[in-house]
Amino acid sequence: MSNSDINNFMKRALELASEALAAQEVPVGCVFTYEGTIVAESRNSVNITHNPTRHAEINCIDFLLDYCRNNNINYEHYFKDIVVFVTVEPCIMCAAALNNLKVKEVVYGCANDRFGGKTVLNVSDFYKHNYILRGHLLANEAMALLKQFYKGTNPNAPESKVKKAKQ
Amino acid sequence: MEIGPPVKKLKHSGSYCETSTDIFDRYIQLIDNKKNLKAVLSDEFDSPLKLVKVFVGHIKDVKNISKTILALNQKIPLKELQHLKRVRRQDVILCPTNFFNDTSSIQDFIECYVPELKHVFEYFKQVEVPLNPPKIDRHFQETKRIWSCNFHPNKYLEKLTGDEFFPPYDLKNHRLFMKVVFEVAKFYSIKYNIDSIDSTFKNINATIVVDPNLQTIVALSFDNRQAHPVQHSAMLAIDNVAKTQDGGVWNSKENNNEYVGVPEDVLPYLKEKFPSLKYYQKEYKNVLEDKIKSKEGPYLCTGYYIYMLREPCVMCSMALVHSRVQRVFFCIGNDECGALKSKTKLQTIASLNHHFEVFTDFL
Repeated sequence: MSNSDINNFMKRALELASEALAAQEVPVGCVFTYEGTIVAESRNSVNITHNPTRHAEINCIDFLLDYCRNNNINYEHYFKDIVVFVTVEPCIMCAAALNNLKVKEVVYGCANDRFGGKTVLNVSDFYKHNYILRGHLLANEAMALLKQFYKGTNPNAPESKVKKAKQ
Repeated sequence: MEIGPPVKKLKHSGSYCETSTDIFDRYIQLIDNKKNLKAVLSDEFDSPLKLVKVFVGHIKDVKNISKTILALNQKIPLKELQHLKRVRRQDVILCPTNFFNDTSSIQDFIECYVPELKHVFEYFKQVEVPLNPPKIDRHFQETKRIWSCNFHPNKYLEKLTGDEFFPPYDLKNHRLFMKVVFEVAKFYSIKYNIDSIDSTFKNINATIVVDPNLQTIVALSFDNRQAHPVQHSAMLAIDNVAKTQDGGVWNSKENNNEYVGVPEDVLPYLKEKFPSLKYYQKEYKNVLEDKIKSKEGPYLCTGYYIYMLREPCVMCSMALVHSRVQRVFFCIGNDECGALKSKTKLQTIASLNHHFEVFTDFL
């Protein structure tokens, strides 16, 4: 995979993250690639689904599992060649899911200080198979989107949980 | 590690063997006891007190004690050791031994930073003192034996670490819901013809989500990991809860069932086994409609209790954090990748934005 490919994949992931932001979701976008081609792309969809596990990575995994089932492909083999590009370091849950599926590599934008599957808890300690993890690709762009999001309030949170704006 | 009870061999068509159904039934019986549950807390509650080495000065003349403390508190405050009293009899804590890393002696150090105390001490020594403030009475008693300290008792934590946390009525409920979990697992194991079940319950799991205020089952699920590696039972249960809030993504074929979070196939079985159980109904939601509009309705799994057959893995445990559940109860430990007790304790990671309580010891 050439450097320009890698950059383009992350740029696509950033576009998906912007879509998430426009939809009032936490702006994280993600593409899964197989042999240098994008085979799945998604973004966070937690608020619309009322399901806090619908992170960009889980959506892509779900899509590819369906794809494998419909095309009689052995998913265990298929995922071994998957390289993931995600704008924010996968959270502990997603990192566990990706380890479990034995994906080849994960490239992320900015680190995830709140939930990171490496930064907060090193999930690779719990799995025999680990993917290659690389970070800080277009990190500033990914971080800028997050900052923009966290300036606003979560549209789904109950009023009692919403932090009162400073007087 | 959970240690399973001895396997009771049943006589079955001439040979000794225990069927999957027998195993479930045996556990359902075992769960039905009166022992209290145990909270799974951070390691500090089980492990010995952490100690840190400090320099201590022995004050020659008791008349100098208060003056010494005043001077020391001003010039060398004990930042991380605020829980300790500065002085014990005639011994006063000067500073942690790693406070200065040059080769100067403690005598030089005192002369340089608190020259007025130059002649106060008879001798210096190094002692180990408890590094962290005591959180529970047991820690306080241990700490006191080593050094005088301050202690602010926390009644809730005291109870949580004790053996009598749940009152009998609550305990009965928790054990009842755990029995439901095993009945759900039994139902699906029969339905899907899963016959490789042993006392580790590896590769299967069942989850129920309970609203403790309404005492109703909001959602339940049985593991589907063989077909879909992300559809562990906790992940399915979270999605079933989402369905009760007009969300959800998996298997969203129209469920005509009035209980949106509960799969239709298992309901008749549960209704027969547990006639008094209540389930979260669509109607509840309609009653709450105005509240939802005012955004005070159910939000994710806030306030819900989760009952699981097996300790959840890392993925599922973090999913439960994201879901903001209030309590997680599990029966069987998961030595391979359990993330609430066996391999790590996700609920004790301070930097995460949500923390639930975890209880086990059903057997």
